[in-house]
Amino acid sequence: MSMAVFMTQDPTNSFQWMVFLAQKYSRLFLQGMWITLYVAVIGTLGGFLLGFLIGIVEDMKISADDSPVKKVLIRVLKIICKVYVELFRGTPMIVQAMIIFYGISQTGVQISPDIAGILVTLLNTGAYMTETVRAGINSIDAGQKEGALSLGMSPLNAMFMVILPQAFKNIIPEMANTFLTNLKMTSVLNVIGVSELFMMAKTAGGTYYKYFESYLVIALIYLVLCFIFNRIFKLIEKKMSVRKNYALAIEYMTND
Amino acid sequence: MENEILLSVEQLNKSFGDHEVLKQIDFSVTGGEVICIVGSSGSGKSTLLRCINRLEHQTSGKIYYHGQEVRDIQSEVNKYRAKVGMVFQSFNLFNNMSVLKNCMAATQKVLHLPQEEAFSRAIKHLKSVGMAPYINAMPDQLSGGQKQRVAIARSLCMNPELLLFDEPTSALDPEMVGEVLNVMKALAETGLTMLIVTHEMGFARDVSTRTIFMDKGYIAEDDVPERLFTNPQNPRTREFLSRFISG
Ligand SMILES: Nc1ncnc2c1ncn2[C@@H]1O[C@H](COP(=O)(O)OP(=O)(O)OP(=O)(O)O)[C@@H](O)[C@H]1O
Ligand SMILES: [Mg+2]
Repeated sequence: MSMAVFMTQDPTNSFQWMVFLAQKYSRLFLQGMWITLYVAVIGTLGGFLLGFLIGIVEDMKISADDSPVKKVLIRVLKIICKVYVELFRGTPMIVQAMIIFYGISQTGVQISPDIAGILVTLLNTGAYMTETVRAGINSIDAGQKEGALSLGMSPLNAMFMVILPQAFKNIIPEMANTFLTNLKMTSVLNVIGVSELFMMAKTAGGTYYKYFESYLVIALIYLVLCFIFNRIFKLIEKKMSVRKNYALAIEYMTND
Repeated sequence: MENEILLSVEQLNKSFGDHEVLKQIDFSVTGGEVICIVGSSGSGKSTLLRCINRLEHQTSGKIYYHGQEVRDIQSEVNKYRAKVGMVFQSFNLFNNMSVLKNCMAATQKVLHLPQEEAFSRAIKHLKSVGMAPYINAMPDQLSGGQKQRVAIARSLCMNPELLLFDEPTSALDPEMVGEVLNVMKALAETGLTMLIVTHEMGFARDVSTRTIFMDKGYIAEDDVPERLFTNPQNPRTREFLSRFISG
């Protein structure tokens, strides 16, 4: 490859235009990448937390001898969760973004596009994670819970000490998937003015009317980001699945 | 505790839908007794133990522990279960914890024992079942017999007053049945009160102080093993035992 390719002051083909734009607007692209990552990471983590909370609520059982207050409380919680999940799974994220951003603005509360973007990502992720968490909990043999209960542990203790740690391990691949999806889905947030990658590409491409090349630049950035995170997740999965051989506790070999 | 009635079951009925599984179950457990429950498959033995441990809820009838009705109030049930342990056919060791953690989780979380005490208790009971060298192993690295011995040790760590066993050897390869039965026999000799559902007739005859034969949801016979196994009063018992001896 000759150095001529990088003579980007006077680009003539698409590739040169890409290099030109990437250099000229490197600050924009970097800033967009940062916002994209920031919204995706915080939104996804928050969404996971919400998904777990709702997954646990949905797994709660009402027993005949619970107090009436507790029964009503659990029932209301379950209904709220159900409605929320239906709403967010049944509408496109881009529409949710508009409704949430303009809805909140209309009430007179000042909300920055970034915060609204995080909120939308979080709520969207939560609705989908709920299903995954519930499936994860259901995949754990009922005997695990019964073993815990039979020792006097509360159902909540059984959940947090025994069931969730095992379910979590099964859910990790799905969580990784969700994060990668979110990384890409943040691009719709440009409609409410979040200055993530997509928005920046629009800006960068606009000056010279070189949209094709500008979007190619961010396509490359998305691709590299997804590739890197995918690798990291695969590594974590591999780390977690290795079985260490146990060491016999020889100090207890004699039985006295 | 000896000679005091620990648990009594009164007029217990249990249906799944319109399928009556337990019918008018009446019996009590006195401190120090080792009671074996035998009977053919589907006669309701597991359901009875699960009702006693509150994993199932009876349709009618009552269960009393130290004369107090066992109610389904979560905090009361938790305390009751801490005293009335259960060993399962499928072991139910926590797959996310080592052998040692399995034996310390409940003593720390439920009994609030300090770390060192939970540890020394775990070691003591793991030693008694011959599993102390395996404290660092995970459940899926153990054989069935080893898992069941750990499960027994885990229950013992709670210092139970009564221990329920639901076919503790039925999921084991034949060569591992002996090691678990030996542990249980040794436990019986320490005076621990036990209620054991089993298909091991030899064990029931030799170890139990009382044997209950269940048939189609009823307690058909409840007697000392000397009589129940050699001179059963109920023809159904005779039929069941003869099938066992010939089979
Ligand atoms: N959760 C359930 N729902 C519906 N029916 C059930 C349930 N659990 C048990 N049963 C039914 O109740 C009856 C008694 O079951 P149980 O497990 O108590 O028998 P068992 O004496 O323990 O048999 P085994 O020796 O095979 O373990 C069986 O007919 C079974 O099909
Ligand atoms: Mg059974």
